[in-house]
Amino acid sequence: MSAPEVVTVAIDGREVQVPKGTGLVETALAAGIEIPVFCYEPRLGPAIGACRMCLVEVEGAPKVQAACVLTAQDGMVVHTAQSSAEAAESQNAMLEFILVNHPLDCPVCDKGGECPLQDLTFRWGPGASRLTLPKRTFEKPIPISPTIALDRERCILCYRCTRFSESVAEDGQLIARNRGAQSVIATFEDEPYRAPFSGNVIELCPVGALTSTQYRFEARPWEIQNVPTVCGLCPVGCNVHATTREGKVKRILARNHPEVDGGWLCDKGRFGFTHLRADDRILDPLRRSGPRRYEELSWDEALDEAEGLLRAAQGKIVTALSGSETVEEAYALAKLLRRGLGAHSALLPEDVSPALDAFRLPLSAIAEAQLVVVLGDDPVAERAPIVDLWLRAARRAGAEVVTTEIGAPEGGLASAREDDLGARLRAAERTLLIWSGPGGQGGAPLASLAAELGFAERPGCGAFYLPETANGRGVADAWSAAADEDEGNPEPIGLLVVSGDEAAANPDVRALAEQAERVLAISMFRRPVAPWAHLVLPGTSYLERDGTYVNVEGRLQRLRRAVLPPCPDELAWLAKLAGRFGVELSPYPSQLFEEVSAVAYDGLAYGVVGEQAPLPGRVPMREAGEGGPAPRKPAGKGLRLVTYRPLFSGPAVERIPELQFQRPEAEVELSPQDARRLKVEAGRTVSVRSNGTSVQLRARLNGKLVRGVARVAAEHARGLGTHVDVAP
Amino acid sequence: MAAEPLVLAGADERDLARLDEYRAIGGYTALEKARAMDPRAVIEEISTATLRGRGGAGFPMGRKLSLVQRPEQAGKPTYVVANADESEPGSFKDREIMRRVPHRFIEGCLISAHAIAAKHVFIYIRGEYLAEFEVLKRAADEARDAGLLGDVTLVVHRGAGAYICGEESALLESLEGKRGQPRPRPPFPPVSGLYASPTLINNVQTLATVPIILEHGGQWYADLGPERSPGTVVYSLSGNVARPGNYELPLGTTLRELIYDVGGGVPGGRQLKAIIPGGSSVPVFTPDEIDTPADFDSIQAAGSFLGSAAVIVVDDRACMVQLGLRAEKFYMHESCGKCTPCREGTRWLVQLLEKIEEGHAGQADLDLVISVCDRILGKSLCALGDFAVWCVSSYLEKYRDEFQRHVDEGGCPFGGESSLEGVFAPVDTHARPAEVPA
Amino acid sequence: MTLAEQIQDVAAQYPERLSALLPALRLAQERDGWLSPETLREVADALNVTPAHCQAVASFYDMLHLEPVGRHLVEVCTNISCALVGAQQVLEAFENQLGVKAGETTADGEVTLRALECAGGCGLAPVVVVDHGYREPVRPEEVPGIVEELRGG
Repeated sequence: MSAPEVVTVAIDGREVQVPKGTGLVETALAAGIEIPVFCYEPRLGPAIGACRMCLVEVEGAPKVQAACVLTAQDGMVVHTAQSSAEAAESQNAMLEFILVNHPLDCPVCDKGGECPLQDLTFRWGPGASRLTLPKRTFEKPIPISPTIALDRERCILCYRCTRFSESVAEDGQLIARNRGAQSVIATFEDEPYRAPFSGNVIELCPVGALTSTQYRFEARPWEIQNVPTVCGLCPVGCNVHATTREGKVKRILARNHPEVDGGWLCDKGRFGFTHLRADDRILDPLRRSGPRRYEELSWDEALDEAEGLLRAAQGKIVTALSGSETVEEAYALAKLLRRGLGAHSALLPEDVSPALDAFRLPLSAIAEAQLVVVLGDDPVAERAPIVDLWLRAARRAGAEVVTTEIGAPEGGLASAREDDLGARLRAAERTLLIWSGPGGQGGAPLASLAAELGFAERPGCGAFYLPETANGRGVADAWSAAADEDEGNPEPIGLLVVSGDEAAANPDVRALAEQAERVLAISMFRRPVAPWAHLVLPGTSYLERDGTYVNVEGRLQRLRRAVLPPCPDELAWLAKLAGRFGVELSPYPSQLFEEVSAVAYDGLAYGVVGEQAPLPGRVPMREAGEGGPAPRKPAGKGLRLVTYRPLFSGPAVERIPELQFQRPEAEVELSPQDARRLKVEAGRTVSVRSNGTSVQLRARLNGKLVRGVARVAAEHARGLGTHVDVAP
Repeated sequence: MAAEPLVLAGADERDLARLDEYRAIGGYTALEKARAMDPRAVIEEISTATLRGRGGAGFPMGRKLSLVQRPEQAGKPTYVVANADESEPGSFKDREIMRRVPHRFIEGCLISAHAIAAKHVFIYIRGEYLAEFEVLKRAADEARDAGLLGDVTLVVHRGAGAYICGEESALLESLEGKRGQPRPRPPFPPVSGLYASPTLINNVQTLATVPIILEHGGQWYADLGPERSPGTVVYSLSGNVARPGNYELPLGTTLRELIYDVGGGVPGGRQLKAIIPGGSSVPVFTPDEIDTPADFDSIQAAGSFLGSAAVIVVDDRACMVQLGLRAEKFYMHESCGKCTPCREGTRWLVQLLEKIEEGHAGQADLDLVISVCDRILGKSLCALGDFAVWCVSSYLEKYRDEFQRHVDEGGCPFGGESSLEGVFAPVDTHARPAEVPA
Repeated sequence: MTLAEQIQDVAAQYPERLSALLPALRLAQERDGWLSPETLREVADALNVTPAHCQAVASFYDMLHLEPVGRHLVEVCTNISCALVGAQQVLEAFENQLGVKAGETTADGEVTLRALECAGGCGLAPVVVVDHGYREPVRPEEVPGIVEELRGG
């Protein structure tokens, strides 16, 4: 590729050189000059020139021009408000027009103090209003969903929010209704804006028209601190700011990592933080004192109790991990159990494999791809939501995105090897494979395919395995960094250590708990572990931790403690407990990380994992064909049931009333052929039966399903076996 | 002055909405001739003719054609879109052309399609023109049945009531199934138009002139004169005039000839008060500007625009504040709501004009009207913002005394006797307003 | 033919199906008289867009009704050319005759009266559009006859 042509543009008498085609707003910025904007936001697609705030004088043009829709051309001479009276008058005029119907209620507006309209009015606006006539008035605020409030009086109709809905998230739900001065932002018939990325419109809004119901009247900008950290609710690890006030998290904002999240955030990540204050949050250690009864213990008592449980098990210990632990926490636990007690048996949250490290790319590469093949049975948005936005961006840029059939053999691997698709995978440039679903063995079979296709040597080609948990890979790295012995489950299990609420909610872990003589659980919430744990130690959240996570790309990212947990954190008491077993364990994440890093991350220093983490380089695959054959599909009668864990589920989401409307519909997806055969009509309620359990679900037809398969969100499939009967 | 009509030629004598009648006067031979020519030669003929667009902006059609990328260059199909969304108040010529010479119009579309190698022609006709839609549809069916379309698909697409869709980029948005809001330009339609593909978009009369140029040759048409904008124009004459209607005349007919000789003058012994020479948007002329020739350049030299050649005659019974208010309410109603100055400015101007008409305005409000106009002018995304300003600011400038009397006398000097007294504008009733009273 | 089938036919004429949205909304309105939320959902399903998009588009255009209208629609152009020659008197004659104001529907649901922006009939003003058919020109004294015709028909 040849270097882009460089052009020279003069802005307010300052010459600046930029690549040809650079936006004029960015060109001015390169010259150190700000052109004010409201509607302009490059992440929303081509500029629309609507708000007219960016009017500038361009020599040779008959009238002032909107800078946002112009690009740098060689020899262009531009005058902004700083050197052109006409441009200054134009900006002043636009601010006056915008303010004509704006209520100027800044003192009671959440946006006050961090509001572009307020700032620009201060810098360019008129000192006095010339409007003496009535302003437009609307009913307000209107809840456009349980999480977002709309104030139509404050709205300046910049259309950022509707463009996001239409052309980024492509959910088509937030619209402008009516025309001209009567235009308003709305949803269809005022139904809730129910879509996984809805909250981004709050941050896009350049005024206080779209506000977070969680944050309304909670803080003023001068009272808050923004802590740069990483979301811990899915394997993407979106970079976020946790806004805190007086030791409490008040909101989560996107913190643009261009390679990871592009500055977007899903609603689970944005609105999920109030689980910190759930009413069943465990603040003190608990000991079971009778059926369904627990007593609070002091920490000294609790450590005595824990020590007792650990010693009594005589090494017959199994540890179940959640995948939400930090690398450091998982390592601390591993070091205590493995080095101190020789307890090597673990139930890791998911399969991991280093094989895909050979085909590593940033997530942002998806947007530049020519061909993307998505394999596996889970909807991408449910598993790693931001990846869904990258895929949409790819499609808009002209990429072909192929989704293999749901329920296909080997998750679709076979069809990706077939003549037609296989040939295209070989032929296209910038080709990507994405595995979204169970049975992917940490990406090993996908790596074999990528190796066959020669992806290691082809630039822009790569493969992603979308894990189930936020840090499953990091937890596995940490577990094996502590010791390298391997061990099956002891018989009988003397003690089951359950780390985290996700593990506590896992049916496999529950089954183990029934076999175990004793259970020690580390948990944030009481409901998942009561009544079956004997000792419960309080857990913490990703927002309360310092440490590292390894995300879907294999990128190590840094979590920073936004607020102190309401109890000692895991590292503090694990260090003490380890001391009782003669294990030297630091309570400091930096120290623990270095111990892991020496084994697993080439000695990378903790301080290097910065606020915007880089992607490690590719690591050649050790041998081709890593990863065994895919597990056999169980045989049975009726339709094979495919379940997936929905995005809006899990211990955090369950505790947030305002997110309940986002939980999945009680639906069963069927192939049109099966539906016809079973005489099931789309939209009708059907009964889905197996193992003597019957669930009433609404039928939805999905042409992407193979015949003989039914798909249901896991929370609506409780009690159902591997095969189900569906009847009208 | 009594030159032969071109676009409407033959329509008085025959029912040219019928294919056989149109063919009897040589219809569709120009298409046959064009199809035998290299597309570049067709564009050359039209360029030689110096045919200027009759939709309002007067852009040379030949230049527009030559800007359209060919499909093989663009890697995309090309499209012809006919702008039949005639909505400028005072304008009704396209309606007459479509009703009376639909085949000539269709033939022009097909010749243009050949010129840019387009396989699709869309005629976007305003939704209110139901009778004309039916005539066109019938004519298109006849042409299709007669094999005249060849491999071209012709779709007559109805609008649904939005003035802004006469703006070409808004029309394209609307045709794509979206809200009819203008796009920033560049890119212009010849580069990126319908479905982001190269698109020729022209007014009905412009396209209906194309077969005539092909038939007689570009030079013949250019020689009709006047030099920079030859040919005829269909003047739409309306308002306080004895014989309103469409008159196809040579460009350059003076307003006096049009109003008095053709239109029979102002009826009822009333005095001429104002002339709006190009549809409701353009700056007004006072009676002493009546000898201006009504062609693109002369009208512009006199400070207004020929626009769609819709001439509205206003007699001395009309209150100019009421006229301004009525016009401004139209632009407020039709503002698409996309850009700030037009959306907010038109509403503010309506409020100010209401205040003046009601007699509550002070001296400062007159200046404020001018200031608000200045702050919209040249700053909006499309021309609608300018339209909303040209009319009102010219009324205030040229009839300042009358506005002043509203302020001085605390009310309308016509005392309820203006011909426009109490005229109701639809702006308050059409939308389902979310607005609630303060 | 069902509405969905009609819409598929129309959509087939366009290189991109979304272009069929205005024709589809018109077909739906011709069937139901107005575009109820349920009708918008039906159109949305047929074209595979969201009902919200249909509403965004429908609310932009004056000829599409998001509220019920009468069996007959009487529209009086009151733009400049018509206004200069007595449109207001024609509108008022309809208001008196029908007993409703512009923008309203008669109590029996028979007739909706609207004022209209320029209908392109300026040469034969004032223009009245009755059920999409132009009457040009109409004088106030002709209004009772038109109303009677509608009431009778």
